Amino acid sequence: MSAAETLLPLAVLAPLGAAALLALLAHWLPARSGDCLAIVTSIAVAILCGWIADHALHGAIPHWFGGWTPASSHRSDVVLGIGFLADPASAAVACFCAFLFAMSFLFAWGYFDEVHSHFHVLMLLFLAAMIGFCLTHDLFNLFVWFELMSVAAFALTAYPLGQSSLEGAFNFTVTNAIASFLMLLGVGLLYARFGTMDISLMGREIGRAGSDPVVLAGFCLLAAALLTKAAILPFHMWLADAHAVAPSPVSVIFSGAMVSLGLFGLAKLIVQLFAGSQAVVAVVHGPLLWLGAATAILGGLMAWSQRHLKRLLAFSTISHLGIMLIGVATLQATGIAGLLLYLLGHGLVKGALFMVAGILLARHNSIDEIALYGKGRPLWPAGLAMVAGGVMLGGLPYGLLHSATHLIDGQVPGEAASAAMIVSGALTGAAVLRSALRIFFGWSGAPGPERAAPTEREHEMPDRPMILMMLPCLILTALALAPASLATPFITRAAPRLLDPFGSGAVALPTAGGVSASLATLAITLALTLLALLRHRPTSSGGRAIARVERAPLAAIDALHSGLLPDYVTWGTVGLALLASCAAAFGFT
Amino acid sequence: MTARWRLGLLIAAMLALAPAVWAVVTALPPFGSPTAAYGQVVNRLLPHLRTVSNMVAAVNFDVRGLDTLGEESMLLCAVTGAVVLLRGSRGEDRAEHAGRVPGRATIERDDASIVVCRIGAPILLAFSAYVALHGTVTPGGGFQAGAIAVSALLLVYLGDGYARWRSRVPHPLMAFIEGLGALLFVLCAALPLAWSVPALTSLLPTGKWKDLYSGGLMVPVNIGVALAVLGGFAVLVAEFMEETRTPESDPVPDEEDA
Amino acid sequence: MTLLPWLVTAWLFGIGIYGIVTSRDYVHIIGSLSVCQSSTYVLLLSIGFRWHSGPPIFYEHPPGTASVDPVVHALVLTDIVVGAAVTALLLVIALQVHKRCGTTDPQQLRPLRHTK
Repeated sequence: MSAAETLLPLAVLAPLGAAALLALLAHWLPARSGDCLAIVTSIAVAILCGWIADHALHGAIPHWFGGWTPASSHRSDVVLGIGFLADPASAAVACFCAFLFAMSFLFAWGYFDEVHSHFHVLMLLFLAAMIGFCLTHDLFNLFVWFELMSVAAFALTAYPLGQSSLEGAFNFTVTNAIASFLMLLGVGLLYARFGTMDISLMGREIGRAGSDPVVLAGFCLLAAALLTKAAILPFHMWLADAHAVAPSPVSVIFSGAMVSLGLFGLAKLIVQLFAGSQAVVAVVHGPLLWLGAATAILGGLMAWSQRHLKRLLAFSTISHLGIMLIGVATLQATGIAGLLLYLLGHGLVKGALFMVAGILLARHNSIDEIALYGKGRPLWPAGLAMVAGGVMLGGLPYGLLHSATHLIDGQVPGEAASAAMIVSGALTGAAVLRSALRIFFGWSGAPGPERAAPTEREHEMPDRPMILMMLPCLILTALALAPASLATPFITRAAPRLLDPFGSGAVALPTAGGVSASLATLAITLALTLLALLRHRPTSSGGRAIARVERAPLAAIDALHSGLLPDYVTWGTVGLALLASCAAAFGFT
Repeated sequence: MTARWRLGLLIAAMLALAPAVWAVVTALPPFGSPTAAYGQVVNRLLPHLRTVSNMVAAVNFDVRGLDTLGEESMLLCAVTGAVVLLRGSRGEDRAEHAGRVPGRATIERDDASIVVCRIGAPILLAFSAYVALHGTVTPGGGFQAGAIAVSALLLVYLGDGYARWRSRVPHPLMAFIEGLGALLFVLCAALPLAWSVPALTSLLPTGKWKDLYSGGLMVPVNIGVALAVLGGFAVLVAEFMEETRTPESDPVPDEEDA
Repeated sequence: MTLLPWLVTAWLFGIGIYGIVTSRDYVHIIGSLSVCQSSTYVLLLSIGFRWHSGPPIFYEHPPGTASVDPVVHALVLTDIVVGAAVTALLLVIALQVHKRCGTTDPQQLRPLRHTK
């Protein structure tokens, strides 16, 4: 075995071992040792995964646990063991997750003193699950890491023990537990049909099976599960409740890595497992693309009408996941390259924005855009990061997000999906920009539709070192502003190897361009922001009528996000029925 | 959405799913004659390769050992989560007072039940050790053994009351055992890497078929799982049990937990 | 007869979802979720079953005796731990909700909607 093959499992085993060690010694360890061990472990894992990603460019790196290679069964149709398979894209995503964890640990320094090292145990297990989810090449093993990820996330969401966080965590847990059962049912059906869990082997068998109802059912169940995790319409309802109430360092991971990982997993399964099924490909090209566009618009509208900063950011995450789903639905190497770049850029921006929210919560005990009016002035570096984040989401023709949007946009058939990307980008960018200017620079404007949105008095652990909160936030913002040309040499070679782990070559990306679409987005963003900041309280009857007309559709969408668990589960069932109907329509015609 | 609308929507969605379910059900391999060869290959190869007789244990601890590692981590995660989420105002540690529902009679513990519990606990504990050690030979294994051992610990509570149970089953020790079990499993997985062979490779001698020692690496992994489950469930039970205590600061009229 | 296990799987999952949607209590929701999950047990165990076969434990029967699929049994064992983990966490959350709000009726509990 080569060095990379030998070291590959350490990316998962190291955080698991560190978590076990911390759990073992939790009652005796001195304060801060948990922080230190967690930071060192996550940085080491990030370096290891980055190194593996680089090596994987010369061929995917396998690791068969227990030495149970495919040859050990002496049959071509049976793979006994569980394999990890590190293609460059998967290892790079794992590297990014570990890096984001390191930043989040730094940001959380001193936050969780109350619970000894238990917070770090949960976070390290969370990290191990994400890495395993990226690297595994076995369907049931994928479910195991998916579930470990969920269990860690459930516990972390409820941490503040406030009323909202407990209820948000309960909704999150039940909806995502149902998703994991759906996933397990799908895995079970596929196993019954093909008698293997290995993704490569099963992918070949599916290519031979044609439009078998069991394959379609397996796809629908797996897709419903991963779309729930990735918060795509109509499975998305839990996200805003959970992300808005989780502790800020945890929200950084949720929005920056966890949900986009759900989408990454879906992309990987579609291209590596279901690419041979015509019906599945048709469903992905058609309904999933429109689902992505609809999610992008809906998330943007909801983000625009929030005043609770973390809830605003949560809805903007939903919107951006919709755009990423459009990237998945292209099923082209260029679109996948765009997806990878978007995942990176969005994770960096959203991580930084949630850190800004965390700084405000720690300093001012509030997260309400209107109540915080002008109070952020002394924290101007955070304000600059937030303005930069808002402008980047809203179509700044520079940086990672711009290139990613351009790559996805170039592969989208038709004008409607492109328009959806522009509108949703502008809505979320303007929402962030509006709050940033209100909070940090004291620009005013009477609150519009956001006035009626729910908010709650909240606070997070005060008296933490400001430098350690500001530093990771600024690092993430700076990285998001890096020119995309630094990442493209890697991405061009990683994207085709995600489509086929044993393939080779590089995809030629359209180099420059896309500036006009970005400038259009930016213009709408700035116009919306100015409109919000120059707004006056409507005094004339005509003005009030206009305000009512503006508020009515937003209030109607808001009413759908009722916070009621039974509603969420019902919508999820409707989503599953829609997926099944689409699959049946494409599979049997 | 009103309850009526919600139910209507749900039923409509389920009716739409019904034909899909029917199509899948009729397309699956018929019940009782599966086509999957995976399990049959395991049944054929593993008794010879690893000299084990319990194939489920062979899959759990060797062939698909990584799944079990993830599963143990999940347990560690859930238990740690429960510890974190149950922090706060309640009777921590040695609180003597049981929470009391007004108007409900307190019944003294009977001598017979004390005797039964005191005799039963060690027997049950020995039985759990038996189940753990025979994991590779007969039905059983670390998970079942850990669960049985925790019921033995619960007998201590049943027979001798909360305070005695707290002092005999110390919380930090149980957390230590839990972490130790998980760490043992991780080390079993990681150590083979030092010899440049894949993780979880069995480098120990395989032992004899039907023998107490058979299966090589499965034996320490099995013990690791048993420890992790024992410690994990014990911590979980302790955490929930503390919820029945009333805080020290809020004294309740003399309600000894007899 | 040969369709029965699959139909039971679908029924258990559906009735569990029905229970969650119509529920007025968190603890009842947790129970319904377990019903949902038991459908996965039924499916996995039925997938591995073979007529006229014994357990995959070769102690009294020599290796080579016809026996059911051991892989799905191992998967169910993992599944059970998943259930235990999720149920434990949900019960903890329900307990804390009850302590703080005095109710566990989802109709009265809505995250971030209290000050509206």
